[in-house]
Amino acid sequence: MTLLTNILGFWQSAESSPLSEGLTHPDLSKFLVVSALLFMIGVAGVLVRRNIIVIFMSIELIMNAANINFLAFSHYLTSIGSVNALTGQIFAIFVIVVAAAEAAVGLGLIIALYRNRQTIWIDEIDLLKW
Amino acid sequence: MELSGAAAIFFWFFAIASLCTGLLTIMARNAVHCALFLISTLLSVAAMFVLLGAEFVAGVQILVYIGGVMVLFLFVIMLVNVGAEERGNVAIFNSTRQVAATFVLVLLLAFAFVFAVNQSREALFKPPAGPSAVVASTVSATGTMRISRNTEEVGGALYRYAALPFEIASILLLVAIVGSVLLARTRKQELMGPNPGSDS
Repeated sequence: MTLLTNILGFWQSAESSPLSEGLTHPDLSKFLVVSALLFMIGVAGVLVRRNIIVIFMSIELIMNAANINFLAFSHYLTSIGSVNALTGQIFAIFVIVVAAAEAAVGLGLIIALYRNRQTIWIDEIDLLKW
Repeated sequence: MELSGAAAIFFWFFAIASLCTGLLTIMARNAVHCALFLISTLLSVAAMFVLLGAEFVAGVQILVYIGGVMVLFLFVIMLVNVGAEERGNVAIFNSTRQVAATFVLVLLLAFAFVFAVNQSREALFKPPAGPSAVVASTVSATGTMRISRNTEEVGGALYRYAALPFEIASILLLVAIVGSVLLARTRKQELMGPNPGSDS
């Protein structure tokens, strides 16, 4: 119940809280909001679609959401003068490297799968199910 | 950290563009259209990286993702395209139960997200204090030069503090190359290749 009132209070007190002030400048919180929404879109795409290639694209969306988070916090730490502010950018580069490797191996798997089963619909690829 | 004027317009344009094209990526019927919408999303995200002062990562994003990974995706779509989606007689989404479960999960995520924003708004929306020194100004003979030193700093940090992960990443890429070649070869190519059991 307190959860519900908290959320309702969040919508009602939006004009007098620091939230409205924060929303006029694209600082850390806005990037986090965009990142979270992009993550949700990616998760929904992974769960909803039947085409396995589109599922891989949704995974790329999820990784991009994580990258936005890393860079937003890196920018935030730079602006407050932290010493290891560049760690987020380094990590984002490694995320991109891992995403590229994952895409190469995953698309090789898709090609091998299509050659054996002649399908790319994931609800027809159920050899391990029963 | 705080941006206003042109930077705010830049941010809102690319944030809304990335979210809309992200939605279209998972809604489009044709897989090629999905790939093109995903390219738009990646481009918008790269623009937001520029806004965050990470020019090098934005360049890497455009070169590696849009130039490499998405071309790979389009090639695979060309190789395995069944063409049933474009004719419109095949369902592109899973069955109703899975779609309903997805909506429940996304609603839970949205709920947790709103709750988290609500809980931490005092900490998150407080304007940060302190100097911001991303852009270095150099006065030369032709005037004031504003060059971002981001690439230099990232390169230095990458080789100084992250040298071991860098080498591990190179090994990972090598394994991925060999693995994808091994996975994608045909039965005939497997028979043509050298037998791993024998020495010849």
